[in-house]
Amino acid sequence: MVKRAVLLAGAALVALTAAAPARAADSVAVIVKATTSEYWQWVFKGAEAAGKELGVKVEELGSPKDDAAAQISILEGAAGKKPAAIVIAPTIFEALGEPIAAVSGAGVPVIVIDSGAKTDKYASFLTTNNEAGGKAAADAMAQCIKERSGKAAGKVAFITAMAGHESLDSRDKGFKEGIAVYPDLKVVGNRVANNEEAQGMSLTDDMLTKDADLAGAFADNAQMGTGAGAAIVEKKLGSKFCLVAFDADAGELEHLKDGSIYALIIQDPYMMGYAGVWYGYAAAHGARLPKFVDTGVGAVTKANMADPAFAGLLDVSKRKLAPFTGN
Amino acid sequence: MRPALGAFFQRLPVESYVIAFTILLWLALAFLAPNFLTEGNIANMMRQVSVSAIIAIGVLCTIVIAGIDLSVGSVAAFCGVLVAQLFSHGFGLALAIAITFVVGALVGLVNASAVDKLGIPAFIVTLAGLQVYRGFALLISGGMTVAGVPQSIKDFARGSLLGLPNLFLTMLAVALTVHYVLGYTRTGRYLYALGSDAEAARRQGIPVFRIVATAYMLSAGLATLGGVLLVARLSVASPSMANAYELQAIAAAVVGGASLFGGRGTVLGAVAGAVLFTTMGNGAVLLDIDPFWEMVLEGLLIALVVYLDNLQKKRLSGA
Repeated sequence: MVKRAVLLAGAALVALTAAAPARAADSVAVIVKATTSEYWQWVFKGAEAAGKELGVKVEELGSPKDDAAAQISILEGAAGKKPAAIVIAPTIFEALGEPIAAVSGAGVPVIVIDSGAKTDKYASFLTTNNEAGGKAAADAMAQCIKERSGKAAGKVAFITAMAGHESLDSRDKGFKEGIAVYPDLKVVGNRVANNEEAQGMSLTDDMLTKDADLAGAFADNAQMGTGAGAAIVEKKLGSKFCLVAFDADAGELEHLKDGSIYALIIQDPYMMGYAGVWYGYAAAHGARLPKFVDTGVGAVTKANMADPAFAGLLDVSKRKLAPFTGN
Repeated sequence: MRPALGAFFQRLPVESYVIAFTILLWLALAFLAPNFLTEGNIANMMRQVSVSAIIAIGVLCTIVIAGIDLSVGSVAAFCGVLVAQLFSHGFGLALAIAITFVVGALVGLVNASAVDKLGIPAFIVTLAGLQVYRGFALLISGGMTVAGVPQSIKDFARGSLLGLPNLFLTMLAVALTVHYVLGYTRTGRYLYALGSDAEAARRQGIPVFRIVATAYMLSAGLATLGGVLLVARLSVASPSMANAYELQAIAAAVVGGASLFGGRGTVLGAVAGAVLFTTMGNGAVLLDIDPFWEMVLEGLLIALVVYLDNLQKKRLSGA
């Protein structure tokens, strides 16, 4: 399910790490979108694991909220310290393009993770194919509606966590295109939140008031999934309504277990952090890297959540990822 | 305007405009959105408004003394995460909640001390608090969502009594209590007096620190309550909860007739302000208004209500 395409670079790294011992001053800066979200903590955990294996210092940076201006300052500050490499998840596609190009131009290799930026001046881009994730959500929803009503037909809606975020927009686009494949499913609503759980909850309540016959909804990140799930529990609609959400934080897992979320579309943030640091280190030592790596998505339902293949993706403490060199 | 009519407007209580506006909006929505006046939607709105109204009532207390509390959203997140962490570390329900409220009250005491003893402007103190307590929320959660909330408090947040959601009843209890304190006790009179003219209040021997501490402890304490209720509703605590709630709370109090210069504002007004915002959010979804236009319309509506209210104030002062 989750691709190990990143392993391809492993072979190159074996030779490389043997030839070039790490400098004492080696550090890799990892800049996430928002430190308040569990998703980004998983990125940090993966980065830490890679840092330990490589013997490099991993600097964990980011502002508490998604804030492009703050992130640009953090990026510039980090670049000023001349780290071996910078791993960054750009908050806003347009805004981070120039700053990333400038840092690359100054000789610090940049590994972009999770979301794109408007530039091609980076060493590698490790991301979930968010559009594919959105499509997977649409398919899971259609399957759920079919299971429960016998036919993939009815009204569906989606909740966007924030406006103007490339990764969220791609998920939504994938979802809409995915739903369009089913002739009897119709998207009837979309609301945009401020990335706050209780707001996701209220929007779900209100969309269900507007269309009482709504068959399903797609929540495009963890905050919205947690909020929408809470709304469905409160209304005791778990067995009727088909809620599909992106990511898998503790709140979403709780709602997956209590039946209010039908499926979670999970990505591999741990791998983004882990491979991001490895790639940054490799780029700093002159390795040539693939320009684009898909870290994969998958759909988890209550029925298959116990599958050992998902264990490390749903609970970071169960994650076992051997270093590339040892695989 | 004829003098009699002018006199009538002058005698209107401060919260009249927001209440009139909200009722007009209800009527319009009842007419335009077929599902607005349904039992389900009314119960939804009651649940949705409760936490923001509770937090707005707290912030109102600081606005009345010509202060402000920008830290409430962060305090709600911090205390929400704290209570969830205590639950998940095996503390009993009552003990976990008690510890959380003690911490919340301490936050208020720290704010009050910085404002009154150190003389730092409330705006700066609580702006710092906005950062600090969000930071604490992140620290004690490790940036992760915290599960392990006991079923009993989740059931409380989802339950209702005599057809009214428990959350709404909690909000009513808070509103009535603070309404009583502000309107019918000596502490309440002192709060308004301090907000109207701090110097005069000091000269009259009002125990200034005690009153300032009351205001900020009420604000932080109610933010704590809001945070605990949010956690109960969501089944988990997240460090990103209650983001920007301080702005909503201030807007609710001000739209409800409170003056940022102090000395004026009521619980009824703050609650009505919170109800107005909840109604707008609900109405926007029911009418399928573009989410971006919704933001613009909400901002314009705030400006309009406050403008009308200011017109009345000007007449009151004879300008």
